[in-house]
Amino acid sequence: MRVELSDITVRFGDLTAVDRVSLDFRSGEVHALVGENGAGKTTVMNALFGLVRSASGSIAVDGETCRWASPQDAIARGLGMVHQHFMLQDSMTVLENIVLCNEPTGRFGFVDFRAARAHMAEVATAYGIEVDLDATVGALSLGQRQVVEILKVLYRHADMLILDEPTAVLTPQEKDRLFGVLRNFRRDGKAIVLITHKLDEVMELADRVSVMRGGRLISSAPVAETTKTAIARDIVGGELPAEIARAERAPGAVVLSVDGLTVRSRGRTVGPISFDVRAGEIVGVAGVSGNGQAELVQALTGLRRAHGGSVRLAGRPLDGLDVGARRARGMSYIPEDRQRVGLALEARVSENAAIGRMDQPGFRRGPFRIRSAMNRFAAELIARYRIKVAGPEARAATMSGGNKQKLVVGRELSRDTPLVVVENPTWGVDIGAIEFIHSELVRMRDAGHAILMVSTELDEVLALSDRILVLYEGRISGEVARAEADRTAVGQLMVSHGPSAAEIAA
Amino acid sequence: MGLEALFDPAFAASLPRFITPILLAALGGALCERAGVFNIALEGFVLVGAFSAVLGAYFFGSAAMGALTAVFGGVLMGLIFAEFHLRRPGDPIVVSIALNLLAAGLTTYLLRAIFDVAGAFRDPAIVGFEPIHIPLVAAIPLVGPVLSGQSALFYVALGAAVFMHVFFARHRLGLRLRAAGENPAALVAGGVSPERVRLWALVLCGALCGLAGAQLSIANVNLFVENMSAGRGWIAVVAVLLTRGRPLPLLAIVCLFGFVDSLSFRVQGLGWPQQFTDMMPYVATLAVLVVLSWWRLRRSA
Repeated sequence: MRVELSDITVRFGDLTAVDRVSLDFRSGEVHALVGENGAGKTTVMNALFGLVRSASGSIAVDGETCRWASPQDAIARGLGMVHQHFMLQDSMTVLENIVLCNEPTGRFGFVDFRAARAHMAEVATAYGIEVDLDATVGALSLGQRQVVEILKVLYRHADMLILDEPTAVLTPQEKDRLFGVLRNFRRDGKAIVLITHKLDEVMELADRVSVMRGGRLISSAPVAETTKTAIARDIVGGELPAEIARAERAPGAVVLSVDGLTVRSRGRTVGPISFDVRAGEIVGVAGVSGNGQAELVQALTGLRRAHGGSVRLAGRPLDGLDVGARRARGMSYIPEDRQRVGLALEARVSENAAIGRMDQPGFRRGPFRIRSAMNRFAAELIARYRIKVAGPEARAATMSGGNKQKLVVGRELSRDTPLVVVENPTWGVDIGAIEFIHSELVRMRDAGHAILMVSTELDEVLALSDRILVLYEGRISGEVARAEADRTAVGQLMVSHGPSAAEIAA
Repeated sequence: MGLEALFDPAFAASLPRFITPILLAALGGALCERAGVFNIALEGFVLVGAFSAVLGAYFFGSAAMGALTAVFGGVLMGLIFAEFHLRRPGDPIVVSIALNLLAAGLTTYLLRAIFDVAGAFRDPAIVGFEPIHIPLVAAIPLVGPVLSGQSALFYVALGAAVFMHVFFARHRLGLRLRAAGENPAALVAGGVSPERVRLWALVLCGALCGLAGAQLSIANVNLFVENMSAGRGWIAVVAVLLTRGRPLPLLAIVCLFGFVDSLSFRVQGLGWPQQFTDMMPYVATLAVLVVLSWWRLRRSA
């Protein structure tokens, strides 16, 4: 199979999201499509898949020009897409999700689940995929859900698979398993498109890499003939930023002190957890997602009630205080989920920027907010954190992921509190924004703030932390100092409870 | 007066008269709920259905034709809902309120325009449903009078509840309806239009509400009275929301409502003040709400 895109242009109103892009995909090849968020990668693939209409350009499958009215036509020609945000029904079983929209029906439109089950069993064994067809999708891990998405595509006999940021939510082990499956597909002669911004993955798996920036195709070359640095340069369009410099400084007084903190949720217990965070240090909390990170952060920030233990901020207990009171005592919080927790997407940028500041003088006159002051403050953040947005009056939803995150980071860091709690700060954010957010966190550390950073990105934890705590099954399985930290040591703690007393004695 | 005076065979026989219209309307509402259409115009759908049923039964002289025109009237309401909510992006609550008001006004107006009467229309030419007696079943104590001697629509309603359970689990449209309500983006990605799926939900909901109206006007009685749906559509809405549109729990809760509704009628005969007995279905609703929320809280803790 050979799929060619010629001069594809996609416009959203005045914005040209994709500008005359030509790409070419073949059977038995993994083609990586890389670029920053908002570079147009997903949009060009959505155009190929019939989800958005292109203003001009053409698509040809095996030399034959195609025009599709809907994704159904693309699916019929053997294309399949695994979307970044899973297109699944949580309340349905795996099998129901797989057949949805493509149900084998018997009499009167009733679904022939027996035939579907038999067909799926064949597909699963052919590619070495294990899955329980009767499990409810809502109960599955993110890695397992991805497998369901892939099975959906296989069920429809796709010859070409488009995967949009497939590893964003996977653990290292799940990623390896996914890549194994993709290698089987390549051997089987399927064409694979991998949309990503992780260059290590490109080097590991892809045969060909195409770089997009600002809606244009910058380069396209076999992976063997290019280098990681060259690709990275094409992505950002210039020289790469230098390694982040950090001041040598001894940590100061204890700012956050957690003692025996216990949280109960959905029948499981997280904790007891005890640790300190001092002024002028970044303490990273590593671990595979779902090992108690969310509960820990929610208990610290007051979003969830703790069942035991105590938390002190600068010596004063926080127990029993709500979110507002904790923030007032000197805590800022950069949440993982900017879409729902960090921002009000339908509100303006200026309103989002002023969240938590409405009690400060200058923002309010009696019960009325002062719009001009809010706009001025938002404009300051936009300039200082280089946020790309139409202006303070624009809705938060109009920003790209990276810029939304910059707004949250800017709003929280500019509060200048002694403690900053950060949760997966660069999740789904482009390279430029990652660099910027990291350097801001280090700048805060150098200025003497205490930073607790919970992240499931091991590289991020290793790069920024002065000390690393590892969470495993709701407890701290070990602590590693910056000097001794490496992937193997931390990785081992991520999947076990650390050396037992017996091993230490021996 | 003892309890035996309340729970006699006549009481049992009257239960389905209360259960059937609410159940049919609630099943229609369940289709919308599962498909992600917030339809609280069931009251209006039922009222139009009741009027259409009388229209058909009077002019064609047959109960079956009455039921058919009732379905037609209900579907028409469903299509109007679809036009304003699906084709044009109207807010479902606003559309619902408009349709409820439209139904009340339109049926009153048509009553005058067609039959030249105000308030109520009764005529021997209205052919209603006859009770169906099932020989052996009728002899069973307690449930016999409930299950035998009812209108055809009662059996249709019971069958529809069971069928809908299977429909959601195993039918193509049932699966897609659930998807449209839960994550419509997945349908779009699969090349299926959630709007079209919702249109089906509204059409089928209209048909079921039409039958609910027919039960009221040509099975329970043989006449049309202004505003004769009298809140049953709203009770159906409550039942749908409480059960999140799952057919079997819906059947259970509607039976409870029907029981209380029927009971309130009875105790009125015992000389209880009507203002109090009128309250009973709503007190029952509140009680169920409290019990359910308490139960869910305990389960999630």
